[in-house]
Amino acid sequence: MTAPVIGFCGMTHLGLVSGVSASAKGFSVICFDPDAARVAALVRREVPISEPQFDSLVTKNAERLKFTSAATDLSACDVIYVVPDVPTDDLGRSDLGPVNALLDTVFAVARNDAVVVLQSQVPPGFTRGWQRPGRILYYQVETLIFGRAVERALSPERYIVGCADPAQPLPPAYRTFLSAHDCPILPMRYESAELAKISINMCLVASVSVANTLAELCEKIGAVWSEIVPALKLDKRIGQHAYLAPGLGIAGGNLERDLATVCNYADRYGTDADVVRAWVANSRHRRDWALRTLHREILSRMDDPVIAVLGLAYKRDTHSTKNSPSMALLEHLQLFRVRVFDPVVPASAAPNPRCHGAKSELDACEEADVLVIMTPWPQFARLDPTAIAQRLRGKAVIDPYAVLNGAACRAAGLNYLTLGVQS
Amino acid sequence: MITHQNSQSQNPTRVVLLGARGFIGTAIRNLLDAQGISVIAPSSAELNLAEVGVADKFVMLLQPTDTVVMLAAITPDKGRDIATMMKNLTMMQSVCAMIEKSACAHLVYFSSDAVYNAAVSRVNEDTPASPQDLYGAMHYTREIMARSLTKTPVLVLRPTIVYGADDTHNSYGPNRFRRVAQKDGRIVLFGGGEETRDHIHIDDVAALTVRCLLHRSTGTLNVATGTSKSFLEVAELVAKQFNRDIEVITTPRQNPVTHRHYDVTNSIKAFPDFRFIAVADGIAHVHKKTMKAAQ
Repeated sequence: MTAPVIGFCGMTHLGLVSGVSASAKGFSVICFDPDAARVAALVRREVPISEPQFDSLVTKNAERLKFTSAATDLSACDVIYVVPDVPTDDLGRSDLGPVNALLDTVFAVARNDAVVVLQSQVPPGFTRGWQRPGRILYYQVETLIFGRAVERALSPERYIVGCADPAQPLPPAYRTFLSAHDCPILPMRYESAELAKISINMCLVASVSVANTLAELCEKIGAVWSEIVPALKLDKRIGQHAYLAPGLGIAGGNLERDLATVCNYADRYGTDADVVRAWVANSRHRRDWALRTLHREILSRMDDPVIAVLGLAYKRDTHSTKNSPSMALLEHLQLFRVRVFDPVVPASAAPNPRCHGAKSELDACEEADVLVIMTPWPQFARLDPTAIAQRLRGKAVIDPYAVLNGAACRAAGLNYLTLGVQS
Repeated sequence: MITHQNSQSQNPTRVVLLGARGFIGTAIRNLLDAQGISVIAPSSAELNLAEVGVADKFVMLLQPTDTVVMLAAITPDKGRDIATMMKNLTMMQSVCAMIEKSACAHLVYFSSDAVYNAAVSRVNEDTPASPQDLYGAMHYTREIMARSLTKTPVLVLRPTIVYGADDTHNSYGPNRFRRVAQKDGRIVLFGGGEETRDHIHIDDVAALTVRCLLHRSTGTLNVATGTSKSFLEVAELVAKQFNRDIEVITTPRQNPVTHRHYDVTNSIKAFPDFRFIAVADGIAHVHKKTMKAAQ
């Protein structure tokens, strides 16, 4: 068959990366969003996301990419992915309104033989509720990782496909598109696929919670978590790619959503989710590690300190600040003078009226009493500890993610504090 | 977690201090006086909260703009039985009745860490209350009574072990250790003194309370330092204060070891510039003050 035309509805982070990556695989792609202003910006190549490789792929594959706000353009598509964000509130509860609205739009304009693939993060049972006579509907698990989204879209580990009936073969157009990525395809019931996505995230949270729990113990008893991690990764039951880096709790919104979903379903069906609630509590506890450390080292010791904060985004390579530990920290530093720098997020995003936006990392350090590195941007790792020490007025460097080399910092005379190490 | 109704510090119009003659009440009174904040502190003779119908009498005193700090209670050293609990509940009933009749701007209720299960080693304000004795149950019930005043902003404070020179209680901990060390030249521990507890200096309790009054804070806050020491460590710190050898004696353990650590993140969030007195400094301060008073 001729190469199918692929549509992506909802120019979100996922939609943009998926659409551009599909074009890079040689498919003609129609990128639709009902927001005409957003589409106009995309046509002008004003890209609202930050991902490695993304900009160059847009340029290279421009001839196969069409951005449109006209829903009727989707009638040219053989496969239509529906990928809007599903917003969450502070408790991780989903607002399914946008995805419902977009599905309505798609079903109104898509050809009857077009395959509609829902890829947004929805609770189990949602997709089956959208089955319509004469329509071909699938659910496909997205495993987007901010900062590695393009790499994972071009070379996925596997496709998890939720089907009305997994015994039936996939439609040729859909199979052709998936097969272009040369990875296993795992068909299963809608509900299984929806829960598979949650299951993956629960495994990740479990690993991170183990790392956080034991890293905190390391900080008390003199063990060093980074010395333990290689021993765990060489255990085949755990594995090289296990999420064992301690962090400042779970952020970004998606994992929190799944934690909330599991708890809600457990409440509804009477299953045990106490361990999941413990992960949530542990995440909240670890999120405030930097605040507690800052209080112990600086705030409880000196008057009117100046605090340098590097990083506002919730993780590297993204502009997203959703549930960012840096934002959470800054909210509690309103009494203090803060000098902040992030390569992507402006200082004006910080919830702190006393934040001064610095021009660079070292500018932020100028005459500060302490440096706190709240996002592990790669460029921060290239900072010279001696240069930091020369600019800081104080000696303390709080670097939860160990972006800097601890030994080099200590050699530069800095009091280096990181997760998983006694201080 | 607490919320500040006043984002900036603002002196309360007047503070009505119930239980002002006690160890904590005196310290709060002194600090309020030092800051020039108007206080009335009716004694139990003037206002017997355990007396039925006292609310009517008290309504005459209370203004809707007042802040009420409720510390009055019959402490465990004076009784741990059901009758004591019922008297304490009657006192709280009187306070709630008078606030319902007259209204007030802010109610601060002094509860206790006894509302937590003693077997829980790490607590924060989200730790479910699960009192194990009548004293803890009394405080938790009084908390609920306070929170039932839906028209009044309520703050519940749950202090850990408080120590200070003027403490009249003699419960196991720094105060008793200092007294017996001075009197007998030795401190006898339960077992090896392995249990860890968070000991907070009275000045910190008063300072945190007054900050909460100035911010008209609501919610629940543990009043603790976030640093726990074993009773053995505390005994050794006390012993070090004396110019003579104080023997710290361990005994065969009769009961299982329990620990208590406070996660004080919420205190830090509420008052990020607050500086707790380290227990070593606090014990030294108490000793000097006591010795000076004895001269």
